[in-house]
Amino acid sequence: MRYLFPITIKEALEYVSSEKDSKFIAGGTDLINQISDGFITSQMLIDLSQIEKLKKIERTEEEFKIGAAVTLEDIASSKFLPQCLIQGAKSIGSPQIRNLGTIGGNICNASPCGDILTPIIVLGGKLVLISSYGKREISAEDFFIGPKKTIITGNEILTEIVFKKLFLSERNSSFRKIGKRNGQTISQVNVAIWVKKRGKDNEVEDIRVAVGSVAPIPLRLEKVEIFLKGRTIDQEILKDAMKVIDEQIKPISDVRASENYRRMVIGSLFQDAFKEIYK
Amino acid sequence: MIIEFTCNGEMKRADVPADMRAIDLIRDVLGLTGTKEGCGRGECGACTILLDGKPVSSCLLYAPKLNGRKVQTIEGITEKDGKLSPIQEAFIEEGAVQCGFCTPGMILSSKALLEKNPYPSDEEIEEAISGNICRCTGYTKIIKAIKSVSDKMDMGN
Repeated sequence: MRYLFPITIKEALEYVSSEKDSKFIAGGTDLINQISDGFITSQMLIDLSQIEKLKKIERTEEEFKIGAAVTLEDIASSKFLPQCLIQGAKSIGSPQIRNLGTIGGNICNASPCGDILTPIIVLGGKLVLISSYGKREISAEDFFIGPKKTIITGNEILTEIVFKKLFLSERNSSFRKIGKRNGQTISQVNVAIWVKKRGKDNEVEDIRVAVGSVAPIPLRLEKVEIFLKGRTIDQEILKDAMKVIDEQIKPISDVRASENYRRMVIGSLFQDAFKEIYK
Repeated sequence: MIIEFTCNGEMKRADVPADMRAIDLIRDVLGLTGTKEGCGRGECGACTILLDGKPVSSCLLYAPKLNGRKVQTIEGITEKDGKLSPIQEAFIEEGAVQCGFCTPGMILSSKALLEKNPYPSDEEIEEAISGNICRCTGYTKIIKAIKSVSDKMDMGN
């Protein structure tokens, strides 16, 4: 096996086209286990973690962007990124995992439980994919097509995630997760919410909601968003919202939790996340 | 593949397969067996090393990732004359060691914490060692030991 460190995206693309049995690696916290378990083999690992362009967090007039190779720890300790993103990153793995694992890796690994995925979706994140043919931008919510399946092709690199400035200035977001343990645990259910408030009361001008581990992909709950948009929130409305949530999700029973547990818990997590925003 | 890196302050050079894990390079090639393999999946923290000062699981790194980097293992944290570091002393003092298997990883995670945050709260200590599993002690004495190092540094000011 060959292990290569391209310094530029161009170099990385040259490597991937030179070897059919090649794989990109950044932190490797998921990939290395998949190789150890025999699910993946590779003749060439192309390590993207030394490409400076992929490690930047940038703010411009209109947008803020996170490089795909930014570590989860750097996101977790950010002083300005939206709260749901920080909370999501912080909840992944352990310090050891977060010091290696990257936002791009969590996205491309595409587990429906991925804790940074639902925050990215509610923040309207756009994924930038580069290949030797050019560049394309995909909405995060359209990127995932099944458990561990995305629309990325073998010759594409996820380079950055772009967010509109709005999601940074209206910093009302929250992320909640429950797992079997408090630390170093995979989500049994997770919820991310972003809200644009109106006025002093609990009025929702705009809202985005996404949930994880209750469907084959991290799921945006558009029906719940439509239900809550423009309303002044009280306990009754939240209760009704939970019914709408229950209709949209498709949880299964697996090693981590039963379907019933997931259905029970998601409502509480949603309320909890909501209450953090509307303290 | 030739890998060159600094390990505990010394330049090391090794010619190893590209898919040799860092933990195997450290233990079997360099003979530094203080770093332990608990799960081999990055879930227990026994294999924790400091990579450029940050705790990482050495069982999840292939050796090439160490190239050009600064590595510190448990062997590297004793003082130059062989004297134990304050964290190691505290662990002994507080009885924070039973079987000792988690201890190297615990100490390195603690060291990284105290360097970044010399006066951590209990919660911050728990978070810093949340990637190091101990099956023996119940963590109380470990947290006490870390706290005592911080308190000593505080009193010294």
